[in-house]
Amino acid sequence: MKSLAGYFFAAVVLSAIAFVLGSYQTDVYRKLLLWITLALSYNFLFGVSGQVAFSHFTFYGIGAYSIVILTTQLQWPLPLAIVAAVLICVVAALVVAIPATRLEGFYLALATLAFAQLFVVLLNEGGSVTGGTGGLANYRIPEIAGLRITGPWYTIVIVVLMLGTLAVLWRLERSHFGRACRAVRDNPEAAAAMGVDPRRTRIVAYVISSALAGLAGMVYAFVDNTVNPVIFGLENAFLLLFMVIIGGSGSHAGAVIGAVLLYLMPFVLSPLIGHHHALVFGLVMVLAVLFQPQGLIGLWHSLRDRRAASAGRSTP
Amino acid sequence: MRDLLELTVSALASGCIYGLLALAYLLMTRPTGIINFAVGEWGMVGAFGGFVLLSALEVPYALGLPLVVLVMAAVGWGTERLTVRPLVERGAPVLAPILALLGMLVVFREIVSVGFGPDPRPVPGALGFGRLELGLIAGSYQSFFIIGSTALVFVGIWWFFERTLTGRSFEAVAIDRRAAALMGINLARVTAMAFAAGAMVAGFAGVLVAANVSAHFMMGLPLAIQGFTALVIGGVGRVEGALLGGLILAFTEQFIVRYAPIPAGLAMGVPLVLLILFLLIRPTGLLKAREARA
Repeated sequence: MKSLAGYFFAAVVLSAIAFVLGSYQTDVYRKLLLWITLALSYNFLFGVSGQVAFSHFTFYGIGAYSIVILTTQLQWPLPLAIVAAVLICVVAALVVAIPATRLEGFYLALATLAFAQLFVVLLNEGGSVTGGTGGLANYRIPEIAGLRITGPWYTIVIVVLMLGTLAVLWRLERSHFGRACRAVRDNPEAAAAMGVDPRRTRIVAYVISSALAGLAGMVYAFVDNTVNPVIFGLENAFLLLFMVIIGGSGSHAGAVIGAVLLYLMPFVLSPLIGHHHALVFGLVMVLAVLFQPQGLIGLWHSLRDRRAASAGRSTP
Repeated sequence: MRDLLELTVSALASGCIYGLLALAYLLMTRPTGIINFAVGEWGMVGAFGGFVLLSALEVPYALGLPLVVLVMAAVGWGTERLTVRPLVERGAPVLAPILALLGMLVVFREIVSVGFGPDPRPVPGALGFGRLELGLIAGSYQSFFIIGSTALVFVGIWWFFERTLTGRSFEAVAIDRRAAALMGINLARVTAMAFAAGAMVAGFAGVLVAANVSAHFMMGLPLAIQGFTALVIGGVGRVEGALLGGLILAFTEQFIVRYAPIPAGLAMGVPLVLLILFLLIRPTGLLKAREARA
């Protein structure tokens, strides 16, 4: 989206929805917004920058655990804890990205997959700091200046998070840096010849998108008021990848469509096939890669082009 | 001493399983450049094949194991036919089949989960349950069977690559796809055979390991991770590297669990740390790939 008015309008509409929903619907709505946020930043990493990484949910988890540990166990004030948690994500992302971006092709996938699994192992073994397999629970969002953000007001925080992520990525994608990312994705040698440093571009893209995932994780931590290792495992990392590919990688609209579709699909499918909706995810994923590599957004683009072409013919 | 030797036998056996999984990756990666994360799920499918034939239908082991391996050849061939070949023929980037196979990973797992439910299913060992003691060396029958049969598989594969024309054509494709195609090697056929062979080896490993851990629909991902860790340690270029990587992984893992004073849960992170270390320090693995000889 380009205009400030557009963002403002979207913020008002999406926030207004928060006030008419029941508690169960609020929960679904909040998680839908968070999935969209994650899909947007993952799309920048995978679709725009072309890095196959399985670590996005790990940074979501690092953000969530950091904010909870800092505010409850260390009793830091919320604003300071947010800054510190963002820094933790950035440092962790640098530690992963600096060596891992040296690796060609699927080795980055392997390294981030190992990192993601290692994170879950550490969470499970973290004792009282991470709460082990049960995770952390029984905490609340700290007060800021005597105020505690709850109910629909907290949903607005998530709306702002999502639109903020979109705005950052929208600007980034159209900047010199965004073009450099796409150049490195499509042809690193040619990009280097044009004066773009492929490694540095990959590292910066990785750190920015991982930090955005971490920020989303901090917001998530106070949605359920519980964090546990299962949420941040590989299952959800795969699901996120499927969302971006099915929606159409490299496109913001595609990421949103993929996230909405795959998040809501189980609600439609569960009455029909129980818990086996993952089978449908897998099949749709395979079919998308085989027959519609541009994703659903590509389908929409080609339909629009065809209509424009036929309209052009009928009125010569 | 006795303890050490017993641990050695069990580490050798797990190392063989990891080595077989690494070999399954290698058979496909080497000629095609495609890394197939569904290898672990193929091991899981093989394990359930073992459950159906050996436990449910009580087919004798000597007949049941080859049957499972044959079925896996069909699974591998079919997977390649449906999800890899259309993309290769279209000239899609190499990432596309990797992603399609990632989708297949979920499809395989969910099909088995729908068919067999979430409970673990028993798969018998080749020689029944029992302990074999040869002087100081002792271990379960299954451990010795795993070690012996893995050695046979590796010798067979090595012989195939070194001594048969078809095997040489695999190596030729691995070294230079274009030159191999110009020499009249059928790339599509080599790819199909690579996937069939990969599935056979993975399924074989699945049946073997299921005697120790039972067949379970979630067993695939750990197998996949162990397999590619072994592959990265040994190097993607050489058949011997797969076995070497598997053994190094298993020995490190088991000796740390046994002798290092860290909790058992943290020990699960050992292979992951090993994988990350190797990726950072020596991403080409211990053994170097063969290059074209002038």
